Amino acid sequence: MSVRVLLLLMVFHAPSALAAEADPLQSVMWEYHHKGLLNSEPYVFDERVKVQVPPFAEDSRQVPVHIDARALGDEVVRIEAWADPNPIPRIFTFTPGEQVVPLVAIRIRVEQATPIRAAVLTRDGVWHIGSAKVDAAGGGCTAPSVVRAQPGWEDRLGEVIGGRFARGDFSRLRLQVSHPMDNGLVGGIPEFFLNQAELRDADGQVLAELELYPAVAENPSLSLEVKGAQDTRLWLRDNNGNEFEAAL
Amino acid sequence: MRLLLLMFAFCLTLPAHAELRYTLQPRQIADDVWLLEGSTDNFDKANGGNIVNTGFIVTAAGVVVIDSGPSRRYGEAMRAAIASVTDRPVIKLLLTHHHPDHVLGNQAFADVPIAALAGTTELLREQGNAMAENMYRLVGDWMRGTEVVLPSETLAPGTLEIGGRSLRLLALRGHTGADLAILDERSGVLFAGDILFYQRALTTPNSPGLDVWLEDLDTLEALPWKRLVAGHGPVADDAAPFVQMRDYLGWLDGLLRDAASGGADMNEVIQSPIPERFAGISLTRYELIRSVSHLYPRYEAMALQRVDE
Repeated sequence: MSVRVLLLLMVFHAPSALAAEADPLQSVMWEYHHKGLLNSEPYVFDERVKVQVPPFAEDSRQVPVHIDARALGDEVVRIEAWADPNPIPRIFTFTPGEQVVPLVAIRIRVEQATPIRAAVLTRDGVWHIGSAKVDAAGGGCTAPSVVRAQPGWEDRLGEVIGGRFARGDFSRLRLQVSHPMDNGLVGGIPEFFLNQAELRDADGQVLAELELYPAVAENPSLSLEVKGAQDTRLWLRDNNGNEFEAAL
Repeated sequence: MRLLLLMFAFCLTLPAHAELRYTLQPRQIADDVWLLEGSTDNFDKANGGNIVNTGFIVTAAGVVVIDSGPSRRYGEAMRAAIASVTDRPVIKLLLTHHHPDHVLGNQAFADVPIAALAGTTELLREQGNAMAENMYRLVGDWMRGTEVVLPSETLAPGTLEIGGRSLRLLALRGHTGADLAILDERSGVLFAGDILFYQRALTTPNSPGLDVWLEDLDTLEALPWKRLVAGHGPVADDAAPFVQMRDYLGWLDGLLRDAASGGADMNEVIQSPIPERFAGISLTRYELIRSVSHLYPRYEAMALQRVDE
């Protein structure tokens, strides 16, 4: 059979391989995560959900991910983020509330080249999926802890540096928390990570909830945006029950 | 069908079996001083990682080699290239710093002393294997058989008298924390290592800070050099590489500082416009993405305050 015939055969077979709502990144893990993380609920790949990552991970232990669903406006209920083939795929679950913008910047660990997904649930019950792909040498999830190699890290546990930056009618809150975020994949070190955060107003009312998973990088770095210039507090808890608070 | 596809895929891979050969042409840049000039491209399966400038000086006692290139195969090709212009034996290899494109040809020089700054040996011991693995990923089969060989001699700054020639050795820090520059006093050729990049964007994976790097540039420029060999990029007889380096480092420093004080996230910083005047420099966007990963956290830490209670 000639090469030309083979090429033709491949072309004719391609459409059947891309059946249903085609994943633009053609990840073999898409259906698995659709079922496991989104309960097989209705979804649409939607370019209005912007996921920004570098084209390649210079440091697989600290890969910046920027997720922006502002184009879906007040319809946003919740955002799920994950990295398809990671040993720990989930990154965060974000419930922004009325006063908080559906935008999150965070740094994560990747074990290999991977699609990064943001699934944004809107009030009508549909998940809007944004994707981006990052190339990587990998190994970020199983690399030895950088934090634990620094003497005195226990004394700095829960220290937060942060700042507030004007963004038109909004304020961007940026912060970094000192925490090893042990994911249980490095020998002899059990899971020890920040798993819960709340952004609260001055009266303690919850403005936004954020669940974190240990795909998040060591010393987590986080950016959020709130409406107006109101005082906010960030409350954090790790899976050992340590609680931390910061004022922004 | 599956078998046919496999056969088809196999046919596609055939051209990759072509022989991998570095064409190294020694170019004389002063009496007894030779250069092997690499491209200003990125590591690629098409170039085998030959993106670096290496060199050698023929002394009365034998040949002093400066850097061994990105792979065993390169090191071996380098030995052959040296033998094509002189009958004198290689007597010493000097390493400018520990980055893979400069040291992974060391195996071809295992029969002579391999000398480097103490910090270079330490960094190579820590990072060498990981860097070599990444090189296999980037340039593939060119790396076959390549392994890290650590230096066997420690260099101190000062003058190295060898074969009737005086080589002034400078211990600098800006690029990796341990950076050797070599001035051949007779010819005035300055092998600047990667303290100088010219027409090729500088790289920052181990830089202790751009301010340190700028000071190193002052130190080097004050030397009595006549000809500049950058670690990457063309040879120059004027101060243009210094001017370009200062301009670029200053821009990068200002960009990161302004971004951090404005609250920008990394993904926003890597999309920053690159000034038109740097259009002739290769790989600026690629290296900006890398430098943001290496350096931006320090600028962020300066722009944020303690807020925990």
